[in-house]
Amino acid sequence: MYSVIASKGAHVTRGAAKLSTSAQVCGSISKIGNRDVVGHGFNGEASYMDRADYPFPAVRFREPASDFTAVLEKERGDWNKLSIEEKKKLYRYSFCQTIAELKAPTGEWKFCIGATLFMSSLSLWIYIWMKTYVYSPLPESTKEESKRAQLRRQLDMRIDPIDGISSRWDYDNDKWK
Amino acid sequence: MSASTHETDEEFDARFESYFNRKDIDGWEIRKAMHDLLSEDLVPEPRIISAALQACRRVNDFALCVRILESVRNKCGNRVNEIYPYVIQEIRPTLDTLGISTPEELGYDKPELAMEDVYEIH
Repeated sequence: MYSVIASKGAHVTRGAAKLSTSAQVCGSISKIGNRDVVGHGFNGEASYMDRADYPFPAVRFREPASDFTAVLEKERGDWNKLSIEEKKKLYRYSFCQTIAELKAPTGEWKFCIGATLFMSSLSLWIYIWMKTYVYSPLPESTKEESKRAQLRRQLDMRIDPIDGISSRWDYDNDKWK
Repeated sequence: MSASTHETDEEFDARFESYFNRKDIDGWEIRKAMHDLLSEDLVPEPRIISAALQACRRVNDFALCVRILESVRNKCGNRVNEIYPYVIQEIRPTLDTLGISTPEELGYDKPELAMEDVYEIH
């Protein structure tokens, strides 16, 4: 039995899950203490994670310590005799968070939106600073007057007269057709 | 639990119910079958849930019962107000017989405890 478990490493096998202690399952170093291995979990590792899609982790959350002995003994009997407190204690023995706690909103979206807007505004300020102190002014040819002069020159040179710019110019009346 | 290719809904329900009704079922198998059941696109029939709760009773695992009810509630999605009360109504005899409290009775329908953010611990 031991050799079979050792060869499987930390993976939980059917046989291993039935062992009373779980230290053997994890090989030489136990990462789960003496917690019970109770199932397959979400990937076969003897680890604990609260997940809504795999609600039954492979190990119990708590180790079977002395403060749980009494309530675990009571669990073997009639559950009608358990108080609400004992039921809650049993639940927290097996599980860390309830599914409602797991799915509770964290408010992280506020941080995300705030950080995004901050970074956007920061980049805008960097652009303004670059515009003011780094870049040289735009060239003369980008001014309206220069662009008009350039267009006039193209028309005067009769550039592209078949189906381009000059073909759309009425030279007799000096305006666009 | 081999699935045949042409399984009707009735056969599906009966397969899971009879699996949970096995006398020698253990905790590993209950969890495995519940994971299989929850991976389907459905909310389990109340009679399957009752059988699963009975199975939990046989292996003396109370917490697993509550977790099953929570996961069924989660499985109801955005129609939880329609489906979940029906499920609880149907399994109420089982709950009362076994002494199982619903997540609502334990206050687990709303978050009870906050957990420290793992990035803030150290």
